[in-house]
Amino acid sequence: MAEIVSIVDVVKNYHLDKVVVPALRGVSLSVAEGDFISIAGPSGSGKTTLLNLIGCVDVASAGTVRINGHDTAHLSDRQLTTLRLHTLGFIFQSFNLVPVLSVFQNVEFPLLLQRQLGSKERKARVDALLEKVGLDKHSLHRPSELSGGQRQRVAIARALVTRPKIVLADEPTANLDSKTGDAIIDLMKEMNLSEKTTFIFSTHDAKVMAHADRVVRLADGLIQSGSPEPAQAR
Amino acid sequence: MQGALLLLRIALRNLFSSFLNVVIGLIVLAGTLFFVVGGSLVASVDKSMSQSIIGSVAGHAQVYAADSKDSPALFNGWSPPELEAIPDFAKVAGPLRALPNVKAVVPMGVSTAMVAYGNTVDQALEKLRDAETHRHGLRASKEQVESLKQHVRQIVRVIAGDMAKLSAVAAKGAVDPADLKNLERANSDAFWQGFDADPLGHLEFLENRIAALVPDADQIFLSYVGTDLDAFSQAFDRMQVVDGQAVPKGHRGMLLSKYAYENQFKLKTAHRLDQIHEALTLEHKSIAKDPDLQELVKQNRSQTREIILQLDPLSSQKAVAIMRAATGSKEAALEKLLPVFFDTDDANFEARYQAFYSQLAPLLELYRLKPGETLTIKNYTKSGFVQAVNIKVYGTFQFKGLEKSGLAGALSLMDLMSFRELYGAVTQEGIAETKRLEAQAGARFVERAQAESALFGGGGEVEQAKESHIDDKAALGSNPQVQRAADLSAKAYTQAEIDKGMAIEAAIILKDPGRLAQSLKDIQQASDSQRLGLKVVDWQHAAGNIGQFVLVCKLILYFATAVIFIVAVVIINNAVVMATLQRVREIGTLRAIGAQRRFVLAMVLAETMLLGWVFGTLGAALGSGIVAWLGAVGIPARNEFMYFFFSGPSLHPTLSLGSLAGAFGVVLLVTCASALYPAIMATRVSPIQAMASED
Repeated sequence: MAEIVSIVDVVKNYHLDKVVVPALRGVSLSVAEGDFISIAGPSGSGKTTLLNLIGCVDVASAGTVRINGHDTAHLSDRQLTTLRLHTLGFIFQSFNLVPVLSVFQNVEFPLLLQRQLGSKERKARVDALLEKVGLDKHSLHRPSELSGGQRQRVAIARALVTRPKIVLADEPTANLDSKTGDAIIDLMKEMNLSEKTTFIFSTHDAKVMAHADRVVRLADGLIQSGSPEPAQAR
Repeated sequence: MQGALLLLRIALRNLFSSFLNVVIGLIVLAGTLFFVVGGSLVASVDKSMSQSIIGSVAGHAQVYAADSKDSPALFNGWSPPELEAIPDFAKVAGPLRALPNVKAVVPMGVSTAMVAYGNTVDQALEKLRDAETHRHGLRASKEQVESLKQHVRQIVRVIAGDMAKLSAVAAKGAVDPADLKNLERANSDAFWQGFDADPLGHLEFLENRIAALVPDADQIFLSYVGTDLDAFSQAFDRMQVVDGQAVPKGHRGMLLSKYAYENQFKLKTAHRLDQIHEALTLEHKSIAKDPDLQELVKQNRSQTREIILQLDPLSSQKAVAIMRAATGSKEAALEKLLPVFFDTDDANFEARYQAFYSQLAPLLELYRLKPGETLTIKNYTKSGFVQAVNIKVYGTFQFKGLEKSGLAGALSLMDLMSFRELYGAVTQEGIAETKRLEAQAGARFVERAQAESALFGGGGEVEQAKESHIDDKAALGSNPQVQRAADLSAKAYTQAEIDKGMAIEAAIILKDPGRLAQSLKDIQQASDSQRLGLKVVDWQHAAGNIGQFVLVCKLILYFATAVIFIVAVVIINNAVVMATLQRVREIGTLRAIGAQRRFVLAMVLAETMLLGWVFGTLGAALGSGIVAWLGAVGIPARNEFMYFFFSGPSLHPTLSLGSLAGAFGVVLLVTCASALYPAIMATRVSPIQAMASED
């Protein structure tokens, strides 16, 4: 499978006043289309920083980050935003749904930003996704009327609605009980298989990691174990 | 379009999502309400006051001599502007009337004169003199003459009583002993027993020595407009004659303003009763609660002299009987019964008011001057000497809808000829009279250069001075002054004669008042191109300080609105900043999933502006409702000034579309301005914020 994410010798430093805090200290990683990868490690290991760089919401201090062939270091904020809109989907630890919009509207939102589909097509696509995540009967509900697991399902639907090549999930099960967490990971895996979408998710839960095709372990800003190469390459 | 709908949807959903939004909304609502109601009120006052000013004397515009120091200020009674005269109105009237939007040009001039009117004693003595000398062809009965004598005697008694009281309380020397001696004589039986033997001698004594002791001869300040009365009544169609008749076409004469007539010429007691009656019936006030009304009652109780001096013994008896019946008092003395009769309260006022007008008033002279009588008006001419003009008062007038307004009623109307004479302008009659006097005196014109030789040279015999012979009887019998006044009041002037001569200013009435600004330009241009030497001002300027009232109101309204909205901008700004800070994760998420910065900017602006629009609409609707309600019930004019500003007894405000549009404009501007900073702040929210955990 083609490489969709290429990270080469990436360094990311944060500046706290005059102190430089290294978050990633030379990380290289290659992800192929259709991968289902878990980035694991304790808190402060650099998991979220790595996801931010892949998600184009942050840029590396050194090294190269290529997403779907685009070197993010050379893209403007506007181009990065466009790249996120069309290539990436996000699933957040705290779900991050827009509270004033209904389930349907939340899922539809990225499509409206894309401005590519007519209302009928949008509706069809949103309805199909909601059915897939088992929330077709809750489309008019507001996020506050849903359980944690249901909210995360909405978030998954929202992440997938634009048919992105990559879905990034930052600790997607951290705020869920283990049973619901398992179900969410199962759902992500199902989507990975059916839509051929690349999933990269961070977790420090061993049970969740077990579902991944590949686990990249981070510690102190460096990859400790697991292959930096795609599974297919090995 | 889809993006805009999405923004609208988010904005709508967020409308009532937080308490802060409700606070912002209420501020916007209050501001809009204030602006709509205030703006409509100011616009309505502006409209009605302009009707008052334009309709009463100013016209739509006024022209005046360009070399004047000041500009016209028609209602600045006590500090009139310094205006030069337009030397010949006829010369400027033609070109102005030829302008397409000019309907009428009315010459005028405003001035204030002091009118001294004879006191009550003078009037009583004049009646007695008329009866004794059978003047005006009337032969009075013996009883009538006797009653008039008794009246004068009663007056003398009242004055003697007053003087006795004054001598008791005043410092020594304050009362002239000669006055006391004269009063003693006039109050003695011997004086009245000898009256019939030499009535004119006795009358002369009373007129010269006694009448002067009564200080009730009021100096009336009379403000007047000298104008072409016919042109004026046609141009100002709200003008209506109330008492008497209009001044006949082309004649000299005067119409007193009804307001001035009631306030200055009416028996003061009667005027105070009218004021109380109006306050009780129209304003629903109560004597018990209103200190001003209590003061009027007190004045009516204590200031009864004016009535006492008017009543002769026969009338006094009748008055006593009327007042005893009305009050139930057994008091027989007039001076003690009057305070009882005028001691009115809420319970008895109406009955006393009716008794006064139906029974007492016929015994009294309610007005010092009646239509048809002649008023002597003295004024300083332009060159500083005193000029007096006898002028017949034909009646009173008022402006319809402005009956109670002291401002609109401040000016009486005088014919232009008399005005010019008081102003000191040389009139045709003046030139003729000078020629007649020159002929009578045998005066001849001498050139300045030849004056010395003509007067003192020539070498001829010194002419024996002829003894002058003045025929008093002939002179008094055919007093040229009296004759002249009679001739002048009978004379009808042609329009050309009226137009020919000076005017201080001229009111311009327009066909289409909506084109005022353009017409002002046209008038000024016509004056400049034809060298008329005029300047033009609109009615607002011509009205003087009063005309600026609306401008001041507008400034206050705009200032208050500005303060409200500046406060609103600060509060809304802070509130939106807080709301934005609370939504950092949401905004970060939107940015992360692909929303551009401009989308975030538009989203925050749209939310605040929708909030402003919704609450602004509510405020405007509420304000419109209040204006409609005020329009239906009317705001009563509480005093004379309000009467003038409201152009009637109440103001019925109408919704000003300008205020409505202005309110929306200001609301959108304010919300946009106050949301701009937080919106820019929101665009700087990094998508990383979405990734941060909630803890």
